[in-house]
Amino acid sequence: MKNSEPENLGAHSRRTFFKSLGTVAATAATAQVQSVAAELEKINTEKIVGPNAVPVTLRVNGEKLQLLLEPRVTLLDALRNYSSLTGAKEGCDRATCGACTVLLGDTPIYSCQKLAIESQGIEITTVEGLAKNEKLSKVQQAFLDKDALQCGYCTPGFVMSVTALLKKNPRPNADDVKHACAGNTCRCGTHPRILQAALRAAGVETASKTEVVDYV
Amino acid sequence: MNAFTYATAHSPASARQLVADKGAYLAGGNDLLGLLKEYLVSADILVNIKSLPGLDKIERGEKFWTIGSLVTVAQIEDHAEIKETFPGLHEAASEVASQQIRNVATVGGNLAQHSRCWYFRHRDTQCLKKDGDLCYALNGENRYHSLFTGNTCISPVVSSLATIFASLDATAIVLRDGQETRQNMAELYQRAWENPLAHNSLKNGDLILRVEIPTTRSRSAYLQVSDRHAFDWALVSCAAAADVVDGKLKSPRVALGSISPVPHQVETANRFLDGKVLDNATATQAADMILKDAKPLEHNAYKVPLAHALIRRTLLKLKGDA
Repeated sequence: MKNSEPENLGAHSRRTFFKSLGTVAATAATAQVQSVAAELEKINTEKIVGPNAVPVTLRVNGEKLQLLLEPRVTLLDALRNYSSLTGAKEGCDRATCGACTVLLGDTPIYSCQKLAIESQGIEITTVEGLAKNEKLSKVQQAFLDKDALQCGYCTPGFVMSVTALLKKNPRPNADDVKHACAGNTCRCGTHPRILQAALRAAGVETASKTEVVDYV
Repeated sequence: MNAFTYATAHSPASARQLVADKGAYLAGGNDLLGLLKEYLVSADILVNIKSLPGLDKIERGEKFWTIGSLVTVAQIEDHAEIKETFPGLHEAASEVASQQIRNVATVGGNLAQHSRCWYFRHRDTQCLKKDGDLCYALNGENRYHSLFTGNTCISPVVSSLATIFASLDATAIVLRDGQETRQNMAELYQRAWENPLAHNSLKNGDLILRVEIPTTRSRSAYLQVSDRHAFDWALVSCAAAADVVDGKLKSPRVALGSISPVPHQVETANRFLDGKVLDNATATQAADMILKDAKPLEHNAYKVPLAHALIRRTLLKLKGDA
């Protein structure tokens, strides 16, 4: 396995690049300086890194996390094991249970099936990033109000899925919630309460506390 | 996962060069990381292709639409004009996995995904698809397996997009050895029909660039039935597309997924439907033709009536009656 930079990367080989620099140098102007910068950036980003640990910078909950990670480290492992953000949970580690759900930008993803190294440059939000000034987010509060959890292991994932849904669709109906949460599993079977919590967070009240909401 | 090196490619040519003989392209990563975690594939380098320029676009055209291979399934699902122009494609996309997966899963990855056969996916099983001697599903637990196959492996194609693309007669443009090659869905999976080791016709280093969908079929529909209501693979999926002129079908195509290593298409049925006014009897006749040569196994015979019903329903949905 190669750890060093390759000699030749086709169109972007260092040698041909610097050769071409020689010919343009005579007529160098600002525009060309910019294109040189762009070209240099390209070469650097096409650099082969790893398999040993390399610097990875993540932006999580508004803060910069500078980590040293092997390319194979998943985003979930980077959050839980290489920093102290244990809000996203590891369940299946196979993009199936949803406990590891975080937001990449505004979209929910499974952090277990995403490499940390490819998650650079985009704002990542975990459940720890939702409460502001010690005040729970609307979705978190609704989960509490509706008692939408038992063991609580799946809760951060559900909270992130519902948070993302409400950003995209502030007034969802029950079907929208089910569609958005289909990728999260609650093994305690709290789904009806979760559905109520999601609707409450959206300001859509269900009839009563004891109402049984069909979740099939 | 075993260790690997990593690079981000900025052009298809450099992606190809970086991936070399033993690397893998990384886009959504859903299938790839699953395979790597189970040690089902090995890769010495992962080449991130998500920065390849222009491949994340959906472009409308008079004669055909172009969908870049890096377009996500969620992008398709949320695209209002796709819903209007290719409703079946919208329906297929919205049935793919879960929101979290659709957000990252790409068109290219959906088409190129590996078999879901549980013997193949079990890391301790050395089955036919992994160059072993035996298909364990053939006389084993085969309720999710194929009704048709051209070889001794009975794992079916499960890409929902392949099913609907087949009915729309879409073409994948694949970069192979520096050349763009064009493959319709039958061609894109042909090798899986012939060769138990293959999941599709892509060769090492091939890169799907985009998919072209002709606009000739103004109506399309997709239906699938799964064990679970949501976030599940189809037991059988069915897609149909056609134009309708004076109440008669024009250039109809029907394709089924999860019952064959390739999107299952029967040309005689397509020809039979051409020019017909759709009704229950016609749809039933077409379904009979499409499933005529089905070879059910011990546990998957239920797929025959299921597929039959799905074909009829999908065709009638095309008509707007279902």
